[in-house]
Amino acid sequence: MDIATLFWLFAAAFGASMLGGMLGMASGIFIVPILIIAFGVDIHVAIAASIVSVIACSCGSAAPFLKGRLTNIKLAIVLETATTLGAVTGVLLIGIIPTPILYGLFAVILVLSAQQMMARRREPARAILSDPQSLASRLDLHSSFPDRQLGKDVAYQVARVPLGLSLMYGAGVISALLGIGSGVLKIPAMDTALRLPIKVSSATSNFMIGVTAAASGGAYLVRGDIDMNIAGPVALGSVVGALAGARLLMKLPADKLRILFAVILVALAIQMLMSALGIHLWGAGS
Amino acid sequence: MNSLINKPDRHDGIIAGLLWYGTLIASAVIMIGIMLGALTQIDGAPNLVQTGQALITLGVVIFVLLPIIRVALMLVMFAHARNYVYTAIAALVLAIIGVGVLLGL
Repeated sequence: MDIATLFWLFAAAFGASMLGGMLGMASGIFIVPILIIAFGVDIHVAIAASIVSVIACSCGSAAPFLKGRLTNIKLAIVLETATTLGAVTGVLLIGIIPTPILYGLFAVILVLSAQQMMARRREPARAILSDPQSLASRLDLHSSFPDRQLGKDVAYQVARVPLGLSLMYGAGVISALLGIGSGVLKIPAMDTALRLPIKVSSATSNFMIGVTAAASGGAYLVRGDIDMNIAGPVALGSVVGALAGARLLMKLPADKLRILFAVILVALAIQMLMSALGIHLWGAGS
Repeated sequence: MNSLINKPDRHDGIIAGLLWYGTLIASAVIMIGIMLGALTQIDGAPNLVQTGQALITLGVVIFVLLPIIRVALMLVMFAHARNYVYTAIAALVLAIIGVGVLLGL
């Protein structure tokens, strides 16, 4: 592979990741369509390369959340049992699932992401009374986080862990199948099932994404599914882009960016859906 | 009970450090690999291409290993704090990842 292609892979990942970072979203969902549409990469190669960049972004952005005490690491490791199990299931399924179904599934996730992008996230109703017999209580998952606006620690309860675990399993399957972080599924799981404060769920979800992706990434690595010349520059571009995007987070009109992103996501969904049906307008998706 | 999270602290700080410096190292290794490849195109020295390739591969492998090392580190921390339930949970996560990798072989 020539150096110009490596550079363009880096630049594309950088751009996607920087824009994603500005909205606080992971870029994994853009990487696979970009690789397929702009670089003519096979969908399975794109998925394996993307999973590496998902790991890279999760690791690269974890430190500030940890230092800000927003990440609930106990809850993360409990939920990771489900997400990694899901990821291993996904690794087993990806060889069986026909490629058009993968494209179709990707289109569905893109549309869900567009919808989530437009809907404002509201703080979930807090679970206030903790049942001492609940799994969350027995595992000592309830915690607190520093609220900067209030200037003090705010305690929170973790609700319905078994439901959270089953949703996380699904998120793990999708993550491995599509090479994405599955934040689009993890966040509703955390909001509706576990009822965490938004900052805690974002930080904890981001923390978990790395391990989930490493479970499938490790399997793809030993299988030899990862094309290093694609995964390397894409991972590097994603990390640098995400860090740059996080810096720019406040400096752009988020609402317009949000609409632009939703439109791009829907356009990509249409393209993926057409690939599922075997129609190629442009690019060379397999 | 005073959980790990309530202390702002050593544990979170060590995990944050591992992930941050690990990311820096992996990124730097990949970047050097790409640059070696680029240099070779100018000079025409074919030896560096393979070194560059090897470095890119090494960087990707570091990235994949990083979260797994993070779970192993948490296992050690929980074991050190004599929190055996969580030591077992961390071991379970590692075991699941291990099964996944074995399935890939």
